[in-house]
Amino acid sequence: MSFQHDRYTGCSLALCLSIVVGSWLSGVHAVADETQFDREVLPILKSHCVRCHGAEKQEGGVRLDTLSVNLVDDRAALEQWHEVLNVLQKSEMPPEGEMPLSSQQLQTLTDWVSSSVHQALEARRQTDGRVVMRRLNRFEYQNTMRDLLGLDMDYSRDLPPDAVSSDGFQNNGRSLQMSSLQFEYYLATARRAMDRVIVRGEQPRKFDYVFPESNVDEWLGDAQRSNRLGRRQEFLAKMVNDYPDDGDFLVRVRLSAELKPETGYPLLEVSVGYRPDTEILMQEFELVEITSSDSQTFEFRGRLENFPLPVRGQGKYPGLVVRVRNVYDDKSPLPAAQKDDKGRTVYPDEPHLPTLTIESVEFHGNAYDQWPPELHRRILYDSPGVDREEIAYVTELLRRFMTRAFRRTVEDAEVARFAAFYQSIRAEFPSFEETIREALAMILVQPDFLFLLEPAGEEKRTISEQELASRLSYFLWSTMPDDRLLELANAGTLRENLDGEVDRMLADRRAQRFSEQFTDQWLSLNVVDNIAVNRERYPDFDDRLKSDLCDETHQMFEVLLRENQSAIQLLSSDFTMLNEPLAKHYGVPGVLGRSFRRVALPAELHRGSILSHGSVLLSNSTGADSHPVRRAVWIRDRILNDPPAPPPPNVPTLEEANPEFHQLSVREQLEIHRSRESCNNCHRNIDAWGIALENFDAVGRWRSEIQRRTGDNSEMRPVDAVVELPGGRQVIGADGLRAYLAGDRRQDFARSLISRLFTYALGRSLELSDQDAVDDVLNQFTQDDYRLKGLVHKVIGSDLFQTK
Amino acid sequence: MSEKSWHLDRRAFLMGSGISLGLPWMECMARDNDQPVRQDQKPRRICAMYFGFGVGLPGEDSPHAQWRWFPKGEGREFQFTETLKPLDVHREKLTVLGGLSHPNGRRMGGHDTGDTFLTGAFLNNKFLVNTISVDQVAAKSVGDQTRFSSLVLSTDGGVGEPTRSSTLSYNDKGRPLPALHQPQQIFDRFFGTGDADTIAERRKLKSASSMLDLVLEDSRSLRNRLGNQDREKLDEYLASVRQIELGVERSQRWLEIPRPELRDEERTMLHLDSDDEAPLQFIRTMYDLMYLAFRTDSTRVATYQITNMADCSSKAAKFPQLQGFKDSLHTLAHDWDKPEGAEKLGRWDRFMAEQFVYFLNRLDSAQEESGSILDNSMVLYGSSNSVTHDNSNYPLILAGGSEFGLKHGRYLKFSDQVPMSNLFVTMLNSAGVPCASFADSTGELTELKFQ
Repeated sequence: MSFQHDRYTGCSLALCLSIVVGSWLSGVHAVADETQFDREVLPILKSHCVRCHGAEKQEGGVRLDTLSVNLVDDRAALEQWHEVLNVLQKSEMPPEGEMPLSSQQLQTLTDWVSSSVHQALEARRQTDGRVVMRRLNRFEYQNTMRDLLGLDMDYSRDLPPDAVSSDGFQNNGRSLQMSSLQFEYYLATARRAMDRVIVRGEQPRKFDYVFPESNVDEWLGDAQRSNRLGRRQEFLAKMVNDYPDDGDFLVRVRLSAELKPETGYPLLEVSVGYRPDTEILMQEFELVEITSSDSQTFEFRGRLENFPLPVRGQGKYPGLVVRVRNVYDDKSPLPAAQKDDKGRTVYPDEPHLPTLTIESVEFHGNAYDQWPPELHRRILYDSPGVDREEIAYVTELLRRFMTRAFRRTVEDAEVARFAAFYQSIRAEFPSFEETIREALAMILVQPDFLFLLEPAGEEKRTISEQELASRLSYFLWSTMPDDRLLELANAGTLRENLDGEVDRMLADRRAQRFSEQFTDQWLSLNVVDNIAVNRERYPDFDDRLKSDLCDETHQMFEVLLRENQSAIQLLSSDFTMLNEPLAKHYGVPGVLGRSFRRVALPAELHRGSILSHGSVLLSNSTGADSHPVRRAVWIRDRILNDPPAPPPPNVPTLEEANPEFHQLSVREQLEIHRSRESCNNCHRNIDAWGIALENFDAVGRWRSEIQRRTGDNSEMRPVDAVVELPGGRQVIGADGLRAYLAGDRRQDFARSLISRLFTYALGRSLELSDQDAVDDVLNQFTQDDYRLKGLVHKVIGSDLFQTK
Repeated sequence: MSEKSWHLDRRAFLMGSGISLGLPWMECMARDNDQPVRQDQKPRRICAMYFGFGVGLPGEDSPHAQWRWFPKGEGREFQFTETLKPLDVHREKLTVLGGLSHPNGRRMGGHDTGDTFLTGAFLNNKFLVNTISVDQVAAKSVGDQTRFSSLVLSTDGGVGEPTRSSTLSYNDKGRPLPALHQPQQIFDRFFGTGDADTIAERRKLKSASSMLDLVLEDSRSLRNRLGNQDREKLDEYLASVRQIELGVERSQRWLEIPRPELRDEERTMLHLDSDDEAPLQFIRTMYDLMYLAFRTDSTRVATYQITNMADCSSKAAKFPQLQGFKDSLHTLAHDWDKPEGAEKLGRWDRFMAEQFVYFLNRLDSAQEESGSILDNSMVLYGSSNSVTHDNSNYPLILAGGSEFGLKHGRYLKFSDQVPMSNLFVTMLNSAGVPCASFADSTGELTELKFQ
C-alpha cells in the first residue's frame, strides 16, 4: 500500500509507459552507504556507463563518475540519480549497440539507486509523524469567526482559495500556506467585523413595515403579483425611499399552505435586495419546505450590507424589495399567460400543485432587541465601563476575549502586552470604542488565533486538555470548541469524559460539517461543480441537482455514523438517502419533498453503493459521457488506497491507423489501447475497474444501451460491463463490482477509510511510521464489525490523535 | 494665466518640496513636460499570460493544416493560419517563437509543467519546491516605483496544488504567490477609493505597524518552543508579517498620492460581477484590469493564468463548454489529432487568440510620451505543452517592447538546445533589469533585438 498518494489526472486514452519507481518500501533500511556503492555499484558504472558519461565524454550533459552519492543533502544529485533510475527502467540505457547490463547488474544498480532516492525523498518529505502547526482553512476560519463573534458575515470573501494537498485534503498543515496577501485580508476582515460588532453612539432609527399584500404591479419578468403563490406568482414588498442602508433586519412571513396529494411540498423562497446593475439582483435566504397547511410564521434575519442594495436615486426600479415565492416545480409544462380585465398578466390555477397563501410580510430595519446590541455587550460587558478605571476594565475584557480567541488560558504577560498596545494607540484613536475595535482586530491576526498551535519541541508529547478540545472541535465541527468543551478542558476533565463528549459532539448539528467536509475531500465530490453537463445529451439536467447529488453521499455517511452502522454499507447496502429531485433523477417513485430520507432499494435499481452515487459518477465523467479511466483511477485511489502511478512525461498519444477507431465504443478503444505493450503496462491494471460501471451514464443514470458514433450518425448498442479484473477475477457490471469490493476487498476499503480519516483528523499526510497505528485501528475496526461511530472513537483515542 | 500652469509636473513639484517619491507615471504629465524624460523614468513593463494543455498542431501537410497553431513559413516570410489569424493586425508588434521549452520541464510529467512556465525549475511528485519566477525578478527590481509591485491573476485564484498550481508567480523562496480571481476584489484593491478618511487610514497603518512589531517580538519566545516543522510554518507567518510591515511603509508613502482616476469609459467597460461561469466576459475583464493597472502605472508587472492543467479541479475546465464547445478543455486538447478534433481545438485556440488580441488592442490604443503602452511593455503569451502532454516546443508569442529595442514581425524557430530561460534573460534586460542569467539560461535570445 502507499501512504503518499500521487495525484493523478485521468488522461483519456493517451496513457502509456509507466515509470515504476521501484519498490518503495524496500530501501527504507538501506543507508546511502558509500562502501556498498564503491564495492558493488561503482564497478558497474565504470564498466558500462562512464565511457560516455565520464571524464572524457558527457553525453547528454550527464557525468556519473563524479556524481555525489549524498542524495539527502544534494538535491541536484538526487534529481540526476532519479533520472538514471528512469532511463534504466525504461531500458533506454545502455543504448542499443552498447554492451547490455546483465540482469544481475541491472538489479544491483536499480536497487541501489531506488533505495537511495527513496530514502532521500523520505528525509525531505516527512514530518516525523508529527502534526504540523496548521492554519485554519477558509471554512474553519469562517465558522470560527462567526462562533467567536456571533456575527453572521462573509468572513472568507477576500481570502484566496486554500491549497489542496496531493492526497486531496484541504486541511493539510503543510499545504496551507500563509502569505502577505492572506495576512492583509485577515487584518482587513477582522477590522470589518469589529466595526460591526462594537457599536458607537445612539441606537439607529428603526424601520417597521407590514405588507398585507404585494404592493408592486409593474415589475420585471412575467410573474403575476399575488398573495396566493403557485409556480408563476410572486409577492413583492417594496420600500421606495424610506429604508435603512445597513444594520440588522428581520423579515417575518405569515402564511398558510394548500398541500396536494402525489406531489411535493411548497417551497418558500424569501429574497431581499434589488440592484439591477449587477448579475445578482437579490440574495435569497435558504429555502424552507412547508409541510403543513396550518397558518405559520417564519422569521429571516440578516445584515443589509450582505445583500445587493439598490443605489439610491438610480435605476428604473428604485427601492429595496422583499420578494416571496413558492419555487416548487414539478417540471410539468407551464400554463400559458392570460390577461385580466386591467391588462395585467395572470395565470390559470394549477390544481395539481401545492400553493402558499401569504397572510402578511413584515420588514423591520435596525431590528435590535437592545442597544448596544447583544454581540457588543458580550465583549464590552457592563459597557461602557465609565465607572471603572479604564485600563483595568480593558485588561479584563481583553483577557476574556483572548481566552476564547486563543482557545486556551492566557498568561498575564500576554494580556499585558495587548493592554499596553491598547494604551499605545489610545491617544491616536478618537474614541474608546474605536480603540477597542483595533485592539481586538489585532488579536484576530495572531498566530495563536489563526493557527492550531501546539508548542512542542523535538520530543513528542501528549497534547494538553485544551489542545485536545481544539483538535476535537476542528475534527468534528470545523470550528472552535464550544463552552462546554473548554470548561471540561480547563477543569482537566475532558479526557476522562472523552467518549461521552465525542458522542455529544457527533449528535450535534455541527457534526454535519464533518460528514460533508470529510466525504467531499476523501471522495473529491466537489469536482462536480467543474463538470459542465452536456445540454444536448442531458437536456433536463438542472445544475441545482449537483448539490443534491453530493448530499446523497454526505447523508449516507452521516446516517451510518449517527446510527453506528457498518461502514461497509458505503460499498453495498440495501438503501440509500434520497430526496424528491434526486429520486426523480434516478427514477425512484414515491419520494416527495426536499428532505433526505432512507429509501429501500430493490435490486433492479442497481443502486446502494457510493459507486452508484451520481456525485461520484458525474465527477468522474466528461459531462457528456462516462470516463471509465477516470472512474477506475478513482476506485483504485479512493476506495482501495492503491493509486496507479501518474502518467509519465511526454506521453505519446494514440495515433490509430484504423480509421474506424473513433467510432468504436470506449471499451473497444481501450482494448486496442491495451494491445500496445507500452500502454498495457499500466492500463491492464486500471481500465476494468471503470468499465464495470459503464451502465451508468455521465450523470449517474442507469442505461442498458450506449451511444456509438458512426460517421455523422449514431446508433445504440448494448452496454458490455462484464470485465476481468487484474488478477483474473471476473465481475459482472456494477452489481458484481459492488459485491466484490464489499466482500473480497473489504479490508482494503477499510484501510483506505481509516487512512483518510486519520489524514483528515490530523491535518497531515500519513507516513510509513504511522502504519502500525493504522493496522492497530484496522484490527479493532474489523472486530467491531466496521461500525463507523466506533471508528471515529478509535481514531480520537489513538496515540496519533493524542500526541503532538 | 497660461493654460499650462495647472498641469503640474508633480514629480518636479514634490521633489522640489523635498519629498522624494517614486510617482506613477501619468499620461497627462507628458504633455507638459518640457524636459526630455530620462530613460529610466519611462515605465517598462512585463506581463505574462498562460494557458494549459498546449495547442493543436496538425501537420503542415495534413488536411487540417489551417488549424495548426504555428504559422506557415519562417522569419519575416510567414503566414498565420486560421488559428492565429486574428493576430495579423499586430503582426509588426509581435514575434512568434517556436522550438523553445524548459529543459527541466521536458523531464517532468506531461501535465506538471504549468508551475514552472515562468521559473524553469524541476518539480515532480516528490520535489515540489519551485524557484523564483521571472515576473518576480522584475518586480523586485522595479516594484517600488509603483503602488503595487505586481498584479498576479488567475481563474481559480489562490495557489492551488503543487504541479497543478493556480498561480504563475513565485517569490525568491520559491513560494507561490496567491493569485487574485475576483474582479471586484481586484478593482477595489487597485482602484477603489480605500478608506475615504486618510487620517483614519494613516491611524490604522500606524497601529498595524506597532502591532506587527509586537508580533515579531513575541514570536521569538514562541519560536523557541516549537519543533522544526512548526518553526517552518511560523517562519512563513513571520515572513508574511514582515512583508506587510514593508507594505505599511510603502502604503504610507502612497497615501499622499490619490488613487488613480479612471475615465468614465474605462469604468463602464468593466464587468466586475463577471465570473468563471461566463468565460468570454471574465477573461476580457481580467485583461481590462491588467490594462488599467498598466495605464495608471499602478504596477509594471503582471501575470495571468487563464487556464491550467488541473483538469476538473479547475474552474476553467469547463470554459470551452460554456463558450459553446462540446468538450472540456482537457478532452478538446486530447482530440487534436483526431479527424474532427483538429478544427475544434483550432477554433478554441483561436478563441483564446482573439481575447489576447483584445488585450493587445487595449495596450496599443493608449499612447504614452513615446509609443503606446504596448510599445513600452513586454507581453508573453503561451503554454508549457506544445500539444497536450508534450513538454517541448512551447507555443509562445512575445509582443510589444519595441521602445526598448525588440524587433518583431517574425516567426523565429529555435532548436531545443536553446532553453526558454534565455528568453527571460532578454526580457529582463530589455525591461531595464540587469540580468546575466536566469535559472538554466545559457545566454540571450539576441535574435529578438535590434543589434
